[in-house]
Amino acid sequence: MPFRMFDGNGAAVEAIRMARPGVIAAYPITPQSSIAEKLSDCVANGQIDAEYIRVESEHSAMSVCVGACLTGVRVATATSSVGLALMHEVCGVTSGCRLPVVMPVVNRSLVAPWSLWCDHQDTMAERDTGWLQFYCGTVQEVLDLTLCAYRISEHQDVLTPSMVCLDGFFLSHSMQKVSAPTDEEAWDFVGPYVRRNMYIDPTDVMFVNDLCPTSEYTEMRYQQKVGFERAADVAREVFDEYGRRFGRRPCTVEKYLLDDADIALVTMGSMSGTAKFAVNELRRQGVKAGLLRICMFRPFPAGEIREALKNVPVVGVVDRSAGLGAAQPPAATEVSAALRGAGCRVFSFVGGLAGRDISDGAFKGLYSELLDVFEGQAQSVNTWFDLKGDPMALREVDIIC
Amino acid sequence: MVKLKFYGIGGQGAVTAAKVLSEAVSLFEGRYAITVPAYGHERRGAPVFAHIIVDDEPVLLNCYVYDPDIVVVMDEGIIDKKVDVTEGCTGSTVLVLNSGSEDYVSRYRQLGAFGDIYVCDATAAAERNMGLSIPNSAMLGALAKTGLVSIEAVEKAVADSFGKVGEVNVNAARDAYEHTRKA
Repeated sequence: MPFRMFDGNGAAVEAIRMARPGVIAAYPITPQSSIAEKLSDCVANGQIDAEYIRVESEHSAMSVCVGACLTGVRVATATSSVGLALMHEVCGVTSGCRLPVVMPVVNRSLVAPWSLWCDHQDTMAERDTGWLQFYCGTVQEVLDLTLCAYRISEHQDVLTPSMVCLDGFFLSHSMQKVSAPTDEEAWDFVGPYVRRNMYIDPTDVMFVNDLCPTSEYTEMRYQQKVGFERAADVAREVFDEYGRRFGRRPCTVEKYLLDDADIALVTMGSMSGTAKFAVNELRRQGVKAGLLRICMFRPFPAGEIREALKNVPVVGVVDRSAGLGAAQPPAATEVSAALRGAGCRVFSFVGGLAGRDISDGAFKGLYSELLDVFEGQAQSVNTWFDLKGDPMALREVDIIC
Repeated sequence: MVKLKFYGIGGQGAVTAAKVLSEAVSLFEGRYAITVPAYGHERRGAPVFAHIIVDDEPVLLNCYVYDPDIVVVMDEGIIDKKVDVTEGCTGSTVLVLNSGSEDYVSRYRQLGAFGDIYVCDATAAAERNMGLSIPNSAMLGALAKTGLVSIEAVEKAVADSFGKVGEVNVNAARDAYEHTRKA
């Protein structure tokens, strides 16, 4: 398979093009913009035979996707940050109507303070919207997971939309070498869109998403819950098949040097490669460090995570989200729940907000804190690990109004 | 593993140059690279940075470069804009400088952060070959003089990246390569 060069956004567009959507509606937002632009180019120059419907907002973009998908066509859109927040209402409509939309989300902070840069607060705010969520570690994975997401979401036992999350700039604008299938190979894998169960016949329209009585709502939600349970198995089956076809098996969780680990970090997204680099250096120094990367966050693979970490005495979970007001931020909360009763000590780290770089040095610092706990030198860790100076003095004003 | 940091001014194509370098080593030399552009509030005239890591093995690191082996300065005047191009430099860090001015070359040398200094008036090379003062392709030609990447790989990646204006960009890269000297 020949190598090609893509940045993360380019890889997302390539996967979408290969899946041959019939309707596209996307509203540009930094750092997603080049996805919306390149999809438009693809329609203009005939590379995608689709109708590109221009919209004035992300709320409308997803509404167009819902309507179009209900007629029985594969749709495409993409967003980021406040665009996803504006889409929130319709994201629930999408999942509740069991429409298997696949949407790249380029991770960017939520506001305020205003920011253009990467963290996971946008997609974490959507983690209970009824969408599957995959977090990419590399540009290669953007391509692989987007192609797989069509198969997982559209599976008749799943019928649940997917967010394929890629870190803003660290992936969206990072040029990397990618092994891509041919158009024919990709189409043979993804296959044509097949409408199931609920759909709209434009010549004989019906009311969709009308008022659902209390007597049925719980059962409708339960159906979604079953869809999520099936999604975990279907994802593994699809990943196996993708691996057989293309030689790379995407994963729900990635285990890295965990078998004999005394200490381990749990990471998500583009930071994970840097963390592995730090693990390699620590191993050379004789420190038994390991790493678990969560690739599939919804459905949360609690069983696999428990199995992978149950024998690691000290675990740190790195959230690229503030998790304001929560007992722990999102990933740490879920990992802690998965490890309940396993005997591991689980600590939370928060950092990398709004594009603050997490260097290999920063990861070595986190492992050093975990090692101190493991060796009994410390009882806890500094959760907000990359704070600078005196944070309470930043932009402090003393003018009495 | 070689770590590079590109410094430029918005509009000069520093981020594009980093991506093209990534393609040159990845597709045409069978190696691997990762680019992490440090986007700011983009506008023409503002300082722009890009970080690139090149290796024979797949690159695990996906973070900024803090200790560059090579610094590429696409605009000599950037040191007058409160940008510290010596950040993380070791004294043996190689500098590739776009300059036609001996004064600037000696100012960069006096910073004490660099070992070998390669100088090329890449903006002039761009103007000669393209009629435009966008020095990114020319600076990749200058960078090839350090031995990091072959000029042939640079030419192939430039041709592939710039479409209709590929040929004039290739000419600018070759011209700059031939006019790059060790200061």
